[in-house]
Amino acid sequence: MLGRFLALRSFYALSLLLGVTLLTFALMVWFGPDQTYELIGRNSTPEQIDELRAELGYDQPFWNRYGHWLVELASGDLGLSNRSGESVSTLLRRALPVTAALVLPGFLLGNLLGLAAGLWAAWRRGSLWDRLILGASVTGLSLSFLVIIIALQLLLCTPYGLNWFPARGWRMDSLGAYLLHVTVPTLALLLVTLGYNTRFYRAVAAEELQRDHVRTALAYGATPLSLLSGPVLRNCLVPVITRVLYSIPLVLVSGSLLLETYFGIPGIGRVTFDAISSGDQPVLLAVVTLTAALFVVVQLLAEFACRLADPRGRLP
Amino acid sequence: MKSDSTLRLALAVLLLSLQTACKDAADSAADLTEPKRYVHSLDGVPASLDPAQAGTRYAKFLVLNLYDTLYRYRYLARPYELAPNLAAAMPELSKDGLTLTIRLKRGVHFIDDPAFADGKGREVTAQDVIYSLQRHFDPATRSQGAWLWQGRIEGLDAWKDQGSNYEQPVSGLRALDRHTLEIRLTQPYPQFVHTLAQGFAGVVPREAVTAYGLELGRRAVGSGPFRLQSIDSARARLVRNERFRQETFDLALEGFDPERDQGLGLTALDGRSSPFIDELEVEFIPEDAARWSSFYSGLTQFTKVPVAQFGQVLESTAPPTLKPELQERFQLQAAPELGFVYTSFNMADPEIGYSEDPQRNARNRALRCAIVKGFDWTQRNQRFFGGIGEVFPGVIPPRLPEYDPEQDRGSTEADPAAARALLAAADWDAGNLPVLEYGFPASVTERQLFEQFRGFMEAIGYPRAKIQPLSYASFGDYYRAYSQGQVMLITSAWTMDYPDAENTVQLFYGPHRAPGANAASFDDPQFNTAFSAAATLPPSPQRTELYRAANQRVIDECAAITGLVRRLVLLWDRQVILQPDWAFVGGYAMRFVDLRDPAGQR
Repeated sequence: MLGRFLALRSFYALSLLLGVTLLTFALMVWFGPDQTYELIGRNSTPEQIDELRAELGYDQPFWNRYGHWLVELASGDLGLSNRSGESVSTLLRRALPVTAALVLPGFLLGNLLGLAAGLWAAWRRGSLWDRLILGASVTGLSLSFLVIIIALQLLLCTPYGLNWFPARGWRMDSLGAYLLHVTVPTLALLLVTLGYNTRFYRAVAAEELQRDHVRTALAYGATPLSLLSGPVLRNCLVPVITRVLYSIPLVLVSGSLLLETYFGIPGIGRVTFDAISSGDQPVLLAVVTLTAALFVVVQLLAEFACRLADPRGRLP
Repeated sequence: MKSDSTLRLALAVLLLSLQTACKDAADSAADLTEPKRYVHSLDGVPASLDPAQAGTRYAKFLVLNLYDTLYRYRYLARPYELAPNLAAAMPELSKDGLTLTIRLKRGVHFIDDPAFADGKGREVTAQDVIYSLQRHFDPATRSQGAWLWQGRIEGLDAWKDQGSNYEQPVSGLRALDRHTLEIRLTQPYPQFVHTLAQGFAGVVPREAVTAYGLELGRRAVGSGPFRLQSIDSARARLVRNERFRQETFDLALEGFDPERDQGLGLTALDGRSSPFIDELEVEFIPEDAARWSSFYSGLTQFTKVPVAQFGQVLESTAPPTLKPELQERFQLQAAPELGFVYTSFNMADPEIGYSEDPQRNARNRALRCAIVKGFDWTQRNQRFFGGIGEVFPGVIPPRLPEYDPEQDRGSTEADPAAARALLAAADWDAGNLPVLEYGFPASVTERQLFEQFRGFMEAIGYPRAKIQPLSYASFGDYYRAYSQGQVMLITSAWTMDYPDAENTVQLFYGPHRAPGANAASFDDPQFNTAFSAAATLPPSPQRTELYRAANQRVIDECAAITGLVRRLVLLWDRQVILQPDWAFVGGYAMRFVDLRDPAGQR
């Protein structure tokens, strides 16, 4: 049973990876920026342009280029950045920990606070607290991430506001430096994710709170805390796990893109942004492949975790 | 309401406590070691640190600090003066001006790096200089600087044509001994020594290229005043190269001007050996607001002030002076950029440029001249350059010896009535005027520049619908489009590679037509003859006359709407001893930066 499941999942994963990379490759080749003119010097001649195109492999047919890239990928070689010449693996190894350190506090806080607020709002459903929490969530949902970032920067990081935190940059050479640099991005991430999380967790908990076993537990004198942190939370775990795990790839790449661009943080979002805007195909393909691979892993993890959380579930 | 205030107060206290705790912890960590660190800022990110790819200001800035070049520019001398750097002296030039003999300083070593057999940096030799020039002609290098020496050094182009085989000698590049180099030119090239002071001329050891290949773009194995500690898209950290040659800083020799340089603290450097700082940190901050905030809050010690901030920084613009409240903290320099902004017409486009029909040719010229006449440089200067840019006619900007202050400025003065008269005289009317396609890389400022241009043209009777924007996603896309003749009006900014009029006049030299630097594909026999004759001459009254004649042809033929020299407002912390330079040689200043006292150290 497990063998069949793994074989099926591997087939899906491989199909997904091939499909995503093929689509990205085609988009980059046919619609992406042509790096020749980013890399060529002044006073270039048509011959020099042709030479550079050949160096970049642009003169090769599409399928040759894609096939060559797949062979390199299979051998674990992600190639070199066309822009800087740096090994893409080195680039990602350097950028990924930065992004992880950047988004982790906001991600954890956003989910934990969202879960707590969601459970509390569901418990006090219809009350003033519920309306307040829901109102705040909707406000958070309505605000653009960009607006939140700019507002927090102005308020906390500039001489026109409180000027308590650095407006940009990233340091992890000491805990103090790390906290100083991560606080404002964390607040921004928190503000933008809290609304979504709270509403979702409230909906899940509200449904669970209507079940018979909750009414029975209450009749037996269970306290709100014991009930919410016990059977209710346990029974909500499947959607919670699914949501948390599936949001990891999104937060890592797209969530950090704006943060890293506006705060000048050298993480994976910034790397992706630079690769898109400059047409650096090896880097962009590596990021896309990595994201797709992450989705595959997350999918597997989610299935196993859900199975553990709810043994009634079955592997296909 | 009360709970709301309490909540806000609690949040503020929490944030303040967090900030104080973090700052204390960060400061105490910093106090453990007290290197003399200077934090610079740039408004862009260098793509590569390989000297062969040092095509941008940002890359040059770092490359000049990590690698040695044979020559450099004196720190304070204006006009710029060349000085020996890795070379022991200025080159010995043969009587025919074709052979240069250059002696290298002895005992100069590359930094230690695993690329060397024993990990120890070996001595820099004449062969390294030859190799570093040769690799520009190897397609695998993806050089952006080969054009500086293309067709200039005997046998180098042929060496490339024969496969760029490094075992094969180049007749024009010879190492006479370990420390003496002979270069033979194909024709006199008065700017040649300038090319040896460019980032492109950084001397690279072959071992590093062999070991790292294209990855040399993120490593640096040079013999410059600093070593690279780390680099990413946000910052570069450089530390002093302990093995950098000990040379005494001679203030007078570097061009110190007591009147101009008063109060900068430069006299404290005299007689000492550079570099004076232990660490050089360069923050890459393209966003204007973030760059200014970082500087104002003390995170960086230098900034180029965005035009949008001029009102908050400058007390007056003529001449630019700092607001009194900022004078205690900051030093100001408002220096003209070495280069200019201009818009050229695509002369290869028969709709506006050259036409085989003589009558249409004349009408097109009249159309271009009308557009030039309709363009209001004063307004452009006010709106986009803080009103402190310098408008000049033609392509030889002020401060170059060939600039003619007496030249007629008619081509830079807006006269909509005269423009309309020109159009009418050439039988142009709203119905038969061609659609103008104005190209630019996508950005808000570029779009605003276009809209202003469109306003100027409407004032001379051009129908609004016939002035179309051509916006490109990236500069590369835009560059490709105009290199392939797809853009009718090409907006550009040219930053000079060296302080010689040849570098700007060549922008309209026929053989340099697109995809070369002559994006306009201007091809005027009189211009070409004058330029060709001047190109091999050393600076002289004869050469000046030739360049001025060429310049006049660009104006007479209305090949471009030109030009404006941007004046850049630079600010730096008073604790920093510095005379900054934003031009092509900006990187050289870093080896002479110092901090006034321990209070200025971070």
